Amino acid sequence: MQGWVTEHHPTRDGLTACVQCGLCLPVCPTFRLTGRETASPRGRIQAMRSVDEGQASVDAKFEEILDFCLGCRACEPVCPGMVPYGSLLEGSRAEISAQRPTAYRRLRRWVLGRVVPTPALMRILTVVLRILQRLHLIRLVPGRFRRSLSGLRPLDHAPNRVDRESDEPGGIGLLTGCIQEQWFPEVNRAAVELLRNAGHEVSIPATQTCCGALAAHDGHAEVAGRLGEANDRAFAACGTIVATVAGCSAHLVDRHGDGAADITAVIAAAIDEGRLPMLPRSGQKVVVQDPCHLRHAQKSIRPQRLILEAAGLDLVELDDAGMCCGAAGLYTILQPEASAELGRQKAGRISELGPELVASANPGCEMQLRAFLGEGYEIRHPIEMYLQALRRHG
Amino acid sequence: MAAIAELRDLLGSDRVLDDPLERRLYSKDASLMRGDPVCVVFPGDAEQVSAIVRIAARHGLPVIPRGAGTGLTAGASPMTGGIVMSMTGMNTIEIDPDNQAAWVGPGVINLDLSKQARPYGLHFAPDPSSQSACTIGGNLANNSGGPHCLAEGSTTSHVLGLEFVTADGQIHEVGGLAPDQPGLDLRALLVGSEGTLGIATRILVRLLPIADDVRTLLLDFPSVEDAARTVSDVIAAGMVPAALEMMDQRMVMAVENWLGAGLPTDAAAVLLAEVVGSTATVESEASIIAEIGRSNHARNVVIAVESEDRELLWKGRKSAFGAIAQLAPDYYLHDTVVPRTRLVETMAGVYEIADRHDLTMLNVFHAGDGNLHPLIAFDSSDEDVARRVKLAGEEIVDLCLSVGGALSGEHGVGVEKRDLMPSSFSALDLDAQARIKDVFDPDHLLNPAKVLPQGSRCFDFGGVRREVPEGAWV
Ligand SMILES: Cc1cc2nc3c(=O)[nH]c(=O)nc-3n(C[C@H](O)[C@H](O)[C@H](O)COP(=O)(O)OP(=O)(O)OC[C@H]3O[C@@H](n4cnc5c(N)ncnc54)[C@H](O)[C@@H]3O)c2cc1C
Ligand code: SF4
Ligand code: SF4
Repeated sequence: MQGWVTEHHPTRDGLTACVQCGLCLPVCPTFRLTGRETASPRGRIQAMRSVDEGQASVDAKFEEILDFCLGCRACEPVCPGMVPYGSLLEGSRAEISAQRPTAYRRLRRWVLGRVVPTPALMRILTVVLRILQRLHLIRLVPGRFRRSLSGLRPLDHAPNRVDRESDEPGGIGLLTGCIQEQWFPEVNRAAVELLRNAGHEVSIPATQTCCGALAAHDGHAEVAGRLGEANDRAFAACGTIVATVAGCSAHLVDRHGDGAADITAVIAAAIDEGRLPMLPRSGQKVVVQDPCHLRHAQKSIRPQRLILEAAGLDLVELDDAGMCCGAAGLYTILQPEASAELGRQKAGRISELGPELVASANPGCEMQLRAFLGEGYEIRHPIEMYLQALRRHG
Repeated sequence: MAAIAELRDLLGSDRVLDDPLERRLYSKDASLMRGDPVCVVFPGDAEQVSAIVRIAARHGLPVIPRGAGTGLTAGASPMTGGIVMSMTGMNTIEIDPDNQAAWVGPGVINLDLSKQARPYGLHFAPDPSSQSACTIGGNLANNSGGPHCLAEGSTTSHVLGLEFVTADGQIHEVGGLAPDQPGLDLRALLVGSEGTLGIATRILVRLLPIADDVRTLLLDFPSVEDAARTVSDVIAAGMVPAALEMMDQRMVMAVENWLGAGLPTDAAAVLLAEVVGSTATVESEASIIAEIGRSNHARNVVIAVESEDRELLWKGRKSAFGAIAQLAPDYYLHDTVVPRTRLVETMAGVYEIADRHDLTMLNVFHAGDGNLHPLIAFDSSDEDVARRVKLAGEEIVDLCLSVGGALSGEHGVGVEKRDLMPSSFSALDLDAQARIKDVFDPDHLLNPAKVLPQGSRCFDFGGVRREVPEGAWV
């Protein structure tokens, strides 16, 4: 039986760390949807281990089992064996790409490796989307893209992006994010303003590129490696790399450890240390939605809450143990049905709670929530809410 | 295969899995033993369960019910091949707050039931450490217990009735809300039968009111004996705390490494105790337990009041088994019960056995009812180690039986301890049990070759192997 063929394959140590206890089953969204071991973390690890032990190969079934995984990593924090599931998954996907190179996968590699990281191309795409949005023609977009795109914020005619600078980089280096900088420029702007207010030196290195998270999750390890190296050079002079997208920051933290952070961690630290103020309570309620890449991948729950409290808001918890909203990077496009079901469930729980203000620290989640919550909800990044409150109080 | 085609016709092809990789993911539970099923099926109701059993019977295929597969004795491992029947799809919950009861599907997850019951001020008392994952069907089949069963009793005290399917495909209902059911109490027979007598398709459970107030205590001791003596003294003082749990030093270190809950890693043993009731009761009981602990040389006593702090203490205890994964690739766990009065000497004996075989032994257990879980962490790829683990395991069981203990506290017998049954039951006892099996399931279709060793019927009683089956270490 054909085993692994790349150097990226899941490690033996990672696989044997799993004692098959099953404690990860109930937190896994795909297990919850199906009740099946073939859609559970334990089952997926066992599938990988079967290949590792020569009892199975990277065949169509293996691909199906691994493709259905969201990569939400909810299985990690509950795992007493500390199984590094995220890296096992990336390794398995890299093997699938290498051993089962379909045209669709190759197309995705090209898009994630060449198109998404090229700002000029993304700008053209954004202009097209803006025109569709204005003319209410998003409904003409092919099915699986339509729903996600219907969750976009209104795209600005002349977006005030934070510009990548050519000056000497240093201090905190802001990773602008390929999609974030085009579709959610307000978040990066808020980040820069707050970081500077908090006394940080901020630079936005001109030669930066995509962090490679989407490519890594989709099994294009070489592409992710290439992008990662380019950023290593671009951010070499910076103390810390900070991203405003949870998916990007999780990937950077895996790569750089303490040398990288999510914006929420940095802003929360500034509030903790008194470099940014706690603002008076407004009595307004906000539902906190935890992006998986903060809550599970970075085990970060407190910072986003502290920021919202500092903004004077009253927190309303979703109390669903951080169940994924179904956005999960490319998942909306690759597994539209499961993604939609999770989106509906999440929206259902939010609408039961009442408040129409929802905080989410990840653009993918924001789009998914807007697509399923529909009209009447305001969904923003916590730092945007904080900045708004800060301005209100002068 | 003809049986698979019939099953597909019945359930739809989406609910019958037979790809080799899919079958492999259902080849074992959380134990070390693996079988190879013909296929996996997902019934949606009792009628489908019945129809599946009839198809299986026609083709002579065994049926192995499976809940969440957290069992530790290969109860849900298809050791004889056959059809694995996953109950996860049968997971409805109907709460009857007036009668403090609920009808639930067997696939309902234990903790989900308590969460759903919380708005009514109720909860399901049995709380195995695996409660976030394991199913009520699995709890019923293994008569599972948990830290809080010390005061409330194990699953059997909380199952009022059930609907089940027998090997001939008939659907029966036993028990009910009325406290004293007429006729034989078949309910009690089904609970703990590990899927060998019938397949539970609906379960009527008792729900208990959530306690007004709770205190969780953490006591740490300079020696295991001091901790064990504290347990005996607490019970002797006439108290039945809601829970009384012990972890030894190695176990605390493994858990702490994962959790960072601030557990004392330099203590030889820690006790976790919980008292529930009115605020006045819990305060006085907590202080009595603290006092008893101190008189037995407890170095430190922490009393957690806030639910967050209490949950953190419990999280450590409940993750103990998994935390072993950091020490070695495999673990072998025993589940025996000894009289509480013999706890101290048994513990000493268990450590002595591990030392003699040069094995890493950790202990975590329900001290209050003398339910030991000595756990050996090892690497099964080393054959010599695997051999010593097996020897030590047998010696531990013998030791526990020799002080008047029992074979299985709560995890069931399954395959793991099946061939040790003759050391705790007489030939006559085993014969009686085998006859019951024959009445319910004459052709041995339901979870066959579990619980009762080959040759339990008196006339063929004889060469009973005392061996953990081949493949126990993979
Ligand atoms: C980390 C960990 C901690 C644990 N802690 C405890 C503990 O504290 N206390 C304790 O008692 N156990 C404990 N266990 C063991 C296990 O979790 C329990 O035995 C649990 O009740 C099994 O439930 P399950 O749904 O996983 O059942 P499974 O493992 O799937 O099956 C167990 C048995 O039940 C049978 N079965 C399942 N569903 C049905 C049904 N509907 N009808 C008939 N038979 C059925 C199966 O055939 C099998 O024999 C622990 C296990 C782990 C991994
Ligand atoms: S919780 Fe961890 S060790 Fe347990 S089955 Fe899941 S991945 Fe394996
Ligand atoms: S990453 Fe998410 S979907 Fe994938 S196995 Fe883990 S919990 Fe399940």
